[in-house]
Amino acid sequence: MAYKHFEAIEKHAGLLGVGIAIMVSLGGLAEITPLFVEAHSLKAPPNVHPYDPLRLAGKDIYVREGCYLCHSQMIRALRFETQRYGHYSTAEESVYDRPFQWGSKRTGPDLARVGGKYSDDWQRMHLMDPRSVVPQSNMPGFPWLAKAGIDGADIQARMRVLRKLGDPYSDAEIAAAPEAVKGKTEMDALIAYLQGLGIANEPTKPDAAPASDGGAP
Amino acid sequence: MSTGWSLWVMFLVVLNLGITFFLFLWGPRAKIPTQPDGTSGHVWAHGVLREGVRRLPMWWILFSGAMFVAAFIYLVLYPGFGNHKGSLGWTSHGQLADEQAENQSKLEPLMQRFALYTPEQLAGDPAAQQLGKVLFEDNCAACHQRSGKGNMQLGAPNLTDQDWLYGGSGKDITTSIHDGRNGVMPAWASLGEETVNNLAQYVLGLSGSPHDAKMAAAAEPIFKSTCAACHGPDGKGNQALGAPNLTDQIWLHGGTLADITKTIHDGRQGHMPNWDKRLSEQQIHVLAAYVYHLSHPDAGAPE
Repeated sequence: MAYKHFEAIEKHAGLLGVGIAIMVSLGGLAEITPLFVEAHSLKAPPNVHPYDPLRLAGKDIYVREGCYLCHSQMIRALRFETQRYGHYSTAEESVYDRPFQWGSKRTGPDLARVGGKYSDDWQRMHLMDPRSVVPQSNMPGFPWLAKAGIDGADIQARMRVLRKLGDPYSDAEIAAAPEAVKGKTEMDALIAYLQGLGIANEPTKPDAAPASDGGAP
Repeated sequence: MSTGWSLWVMFLVVLNLGITFFLFLWGPRAKIPTQPDGTSGHVWAHGVLREGVRRLPMWWILFSGAMFVAAFIYLVLYPGFGNHKGSLGWTSHGQLADEQAENQSKLEPLMQRFALYTPEQLAGDPAAQQLGKVLFEDNCAACHQRSGKGNMQLGAPNLTDQDWLYGGSGKDITTSIHDGRNGVMPAWASLGEETVNNLAQYVLGLSGSPHDAKMAAAAEPIFKSTCAACHGPDGKGNQALGAPNLTDQIWLHGGTLADITKTIHDGRQGHMPNWDKRLSEQQIHVLAAYVYHLSHPDAGAPE
């Protein structure tokens, strides 16, 4: 390469842009693509099941209300996290989360294993008015959820789409969905979702190794 | 990672470092055509700025070379070059296990000492209280408040008084934390509005609060036949069932006429989660000592 080639890159903004894009993307191509492709071949371990209709509705409300903007669902493999929140999260636990709720934005605590930590009544009071149970909380209240109902047909449609994407819902499960969400409010659905987080899919022993490293190290 | 992806990563690492290395070798030697005035001939801002020709400073070359060497050392020692695990054998999960073991070995002597005492005896132990306070604020304060004074709106009991739903011994407290508690007050709306209102007056009377004596008297036979099954004929409650004592001035769900009427009419469900899956036995032991301490602040350190 002679200086004139270098000069050509330096003098043409378009060429320089292309060159920068190539160099910057090398890191991403090495770090992201292998894990991205391998993540799609992850299989659910036997103790992880697709969301039942009520929890599925709750999960979508969680996303709609933007809970992820303050709460992550990813316990990192760091002592001060496992000590506070429990066993670190593994990739297999999230196979039925579309989109997954990992992240590192924590204005509030991580919720990956919050299920069962508090009672349903606590969750309800906390969602209606967080300061009624945690005086120093800065979380907004979500009282409108208690008034909004859930459309069974809508949940069925979501289950059908998820089945197309590979979630193993049976015809009987889809047919039973309207009955499962009948008379429930969005508040009930969100609480059902929160109370299920980390319970059924937690690695069985607190210090047992997970089914795989989930993309470790 | 499969072999194919491993090769892909290796290829990109070599490519990236290769381009960097090439630029590093070529840059200082490149022949830059120089104009008679000593500039490269590049002009900006309509000729106001002209680009001079200078060699890269030595400190920059040495610094970049060191970074380049550091990259190689890193790739030898740590995972990064495809499936190469790194000669140090480091993994994030391995580091976590080491840190947990180190922490455990620090805590172990303390925990062994705590195990020698009952929660009552540990209630005055400063180390147990310090540890217990952290555990309490992290796990219990959401319902019982940081002060331990409870939340009447939620039905979370005050832990700082001498009134216990399920018993206040260290053993009872340990069981409450370990297994959780489910308090069930059935709804008595089926008895009819009048009876419910009369019963509420009777319950007010039990605690010596102002009440309508006539209504209370009308409800007495129903209290003795129905409510007494859990709360006892004299209304003093039953710790085996978690049925509250109705004769004192301590109320789990509020002691106004409206609160009591609602409690009888709609029932109440109290739920204390079980902590055996979330906390270790040692942690529960320390927490029980902390909770005991809340209602016995004058307890002395164990002998």
